[in-house]
Amino acid sequence: MSTTAKAAGLALCHDCHKLVPAAGKSALASCPRCGAAIHLRKPGSLNRSWALVLAALILYFPANLLPIMLVDFMGSPDLSTIMDGIIYFFQEGSYGIGAVILTASILVPCFKIICLILILLSIHFRWRSWLRHKTILFRIIEFIGRWSMLDIFVIALLHVMVNFENITTITAAPAAPYFVGVVICTMFAAITFDPRLLWDA
Amino acid sequence: MHCETSNIGHQTMLPQTTDFDLDQVIACPDCDLLLENIPVATGEKLCCPRCGETLKEPKTNSINRTLALSLTGLLLYPFAIFMPIMTLNTMGLENSGNIFDGVFMTWISGYRFIAVIVALTSVIFPLIKLLLLFLVSLSLKFKRYHNSLHLLMRSYIHLDEWGMLEVFMLGILVTIIKMHHMAAIHYDAGLFCFVGLLAAALGSSIMMDKEEFWKLIENGGVSY
Repeated sequence: MSTTAKAAGLALCHDCHKLVPAAGKSALASCPRCGAAIHLRKPGSLNRSWALVLAALILYFPANLLPIMLVDFMGSPDLSTIMDGIIYFFQEGSYGIGAVILTASILVPCFKIICLILILLSIHFRWRSWLRHKTILFRIIEFIGRWSMLDIFVIALLHVMVNFENITTITAAPAAPYFVGVVICTMFAAITFDPRLLWDA
Repeated sequence: MHCETSNIGHQTMLPQTTDFDLDQVIACPDCDLLLENIPVATGEKLCCPRCGETLKEPKTNSINRTLALSLTGLLLYPFAIFMPIMTLNTMGLENSGNIFDGVFMTWISGYRFIAVIVALTSVIFPLIKLLLLFLVSLSLKFKRYHNSLHLLMRSYIHLDEWGMLEVFMLGILVTIIKMHHMAAIHYDAGLFCFVGLLAAALGSSIMMDKEEFWKLIENGGVSY
């Protein structure tokens, strides 16, 4: 059995990773090095992560079902969802780029939501198996989160690059804000989640 | 890269008190395992034996490299954001745009939330991150320990994952692949400046040795 910092009465500063005493007479409320508030674990971690994951799950549906992009060609508007855009690439034969967008826009948010829910459930039900793998899974979730913004950047770029006034224009459509909402909620869920809770359970 | 693991946590019981020297121990940020603080040479990496998290990875010449790369990024920044990145030519019509226009036109089209998020993640946060790294590494280089240095470092740590230049770069590539059937694409100077900016921004954050920076700030006589 190995000792944790918590068991030894020590807390790691969230911001600068300095070890400071957090129990007994010498306990500190803020980090002497960077001034951040000291907590043994991130405060309200489980509640906040649950709220943000569920918000992301709710936003995931309008983000994928509503159209995300409006292509106006010679006065005839054409709305397309994320999936339409991916199918277009596969029909064109651009399998590589289709796979990149499929991964970044659909698989990554879905993977993040499912894995965060599994990790949170495993804390609630105290599943003490696969701890190392769950921690690695969480690090993967932290890393891939930002890449989902890809589709939004592409739409903003297409909007400015394909702007031939009377012939063809491209603009964002109603799903775009929901999609950004999914990305932001899952990123914040990963930020507020404290992986040490897995090991405490 | 050689990965050295410290196994003291598995073999010895550490005392259950707060009495031991805080410089002699470190804790894993991901699993809270308490470990002996062993020195790590540059080019080596200390990993947590329990969860595999990288605990220490000293960088060579960290301050100078961070300073040089963040300065390079700052010099390229205005050109990357305000110069046209490419020109599209179709049916005799020409159209070019830069990154700032991308944000501005999204705002005009009514999707203001999207415009704000794109502006923050691809224009504002990358600039603030470069400025913070530049200021911190410049102060450390010339040993000016200003007493707000810790706030600059904390701001950088919190902003770190919200600057998304590399995702934006992938967005530019996807846009090019999407359009190259329909229009002739001419690549402008802004694109090359953006690639340079991305390289400098990534390089500066990789080169920054957070542990070394924090140690210097702490020992530089920061007062509270």
